[in-house]
Amino acid sequence: MKCVTMFRQGSHRWLAVTGDPGSGGKAVDTNQFVVAAGNSGMLLDPGGIEVFPAALSALTQEIDIDDIHYILLSHQDPDVGSALPLWRRVCRPDVTLLVSSLWTGFYAHVDAAAEITPIPDEGTRVKLGEDVTLQLVPAHYLHSAGNFHVYDPEARILFSGDVGAALLPKQALDTFYVTDFAHHIPYMEGFHRRWMGSPAARDAWVSLVSRLDVKVMAPQHGLAMRGDDVKRFLDWFAKLELGSGVAAMRAER
Amino acid sequence: MGKGEVAVGQESRANENFDGASRIEARIGALLGDCIQVFRAFSELAELAENLRILSLNAELAAGRAGDKGRAVRALTQYTRELVNRLAQVQTETAGLMSHTYGLTAAILREHHQHALIERAVGAITAGSGTMADSASRRLEEASVAMTGTLARSVERMVEYIERMSARTRAVAEVVSASDSIATNIAIEAVGAGLHEAEFRTVADTMRRYVEELRTIMEQAGAAVRSAVDKGVALQRINRSGRMPAARQGVLEA
Repeated sequence: MKCVTMFRQGSHRWLAVTGDPGSGGKAVDTNQFVVAAGNSGMLLDPGGIEVFPAALSALTQEIDIDDIHYILLSHQDPDVGSALPLWRRVCRPDVTLLVSSLWTGFYAHVDAAAEITPIPDEGTRVKLGEDVTLQLVPAHYLHSAGNFHVYDPEARILFSGDVGAALLPKQALDTFYVTDFAHHIPYMEGFHRRWMGSPAARDAWVSLVSRLDVKVMAPQHGLAMRGDDVKRFLDWFAKLELGSGVAAMRAER
Repeated sequence: MGKGEVAVGQESRANENFDGASRIEARIGALLGDCIQVFRAFSELAELAENLRILSLNAELAAGRAGDKGRAVRALTQYTRELVNRLAQVQTETAGLMSHTYGLTAAILREHHQHALIERAVGAITAGSGTMADSASRRLEEASVAMTGTLARSVERMVEYIERMSARTRAVAEVVSASDSIATNIAIEAVGAGLHEAEFRTVADTMRRYVEELRTIMEQAGAAVRSAVDKGVALQRINRSGRMPAARQGVLEA
């Protein structure tokens, strides 16, 4: 795995840990992100337990683990936070763990000793250092019932969890940003049709994100989108037919 | 030797430790397999104890009908019921032990797997060129020491549980031996029981059959317990020698 600096302005940084974690191809590839400002940082979706060694190694090339004051778990999936008990062992003892109030009791199945701060449905703000305030933006039902994305108005970066995710062949992970949006669509399409089930939630999210000034959209899987590709994605996603799994329930038995 | 060469060697050792850790996980899995065999054998005790209890009640009724000639048989059947109670007690104790063993095994496997990943992280950080890794390395070291301690205590407890299983097996073996003697004595009493001879003989034969079933159960449980003891002692030895679950010190040497 490698650590990519997506944004830097003074001490304000966005880091992405990406690439094959060496799981033998069994585990779906994930991106882990850190937003840092001053001596304070937030780790976004620390990842699955098998990714932990490679992710920690990549991250510590750029940031002191003591600077991680927050860990955000966007939702409850194992690729998001099954490594939580290991991260808690290496992070500072007072690290704040943030997850939707829906999932606090569920995360006890992963790490019973973890003290989790629930995020209310409407989201919240978290200040890093003196000047940076992150917005934890609700993205419920996309795909999880209790789900949050992170928007940084200074860096104009949106961490979008599973929205914008793409399941790519390994060789495509050599780059970090989408370079040809039309070519990228097939890698996202099946995922979004199947994983996203609520057109109402999608419409609300697209409306919300359209009001934000987003320069880079960084999903948990696959490549980030920047510039005009963010708008292209919103337009494409707004028209996509969702809930492809419903057909299986309508099938004759 | 350059820094990079040392790092590569250290990462390789960390990976070897990870493989070694997988083998220890396999040993723990095999140990659990033995414990499951013991519990499976013990699970058949309840039905057998109930059969033995009903047999003793019927034998007592037969002894009552036989009057003076049934006096000894009556005493023997009362003793049989004591043995049945002992079997029931063993069963209850084993059920508690089973729950603790499953819980502890799950905890050991989870802790062990996490420890192996901590070791792998140590290897990855050592091999990497991270300049910000001091805090992480220190915390990994602390985590490794703490987890090794937890694992050591868990393995000691596991061995303790296996010893308790062994004690239960011995308790049932005593019941088998005593029941066998009772069956023999009832058969002897049957010889002089006149009209009641056939009835007492049937009781003795049935009891012998139950004793044989008990013996089979105990042989299965005994073999599984012996195997579990061997594996537990081997894990304890690895643990006490500091190689459990991975040679942390070995990673740092190079």
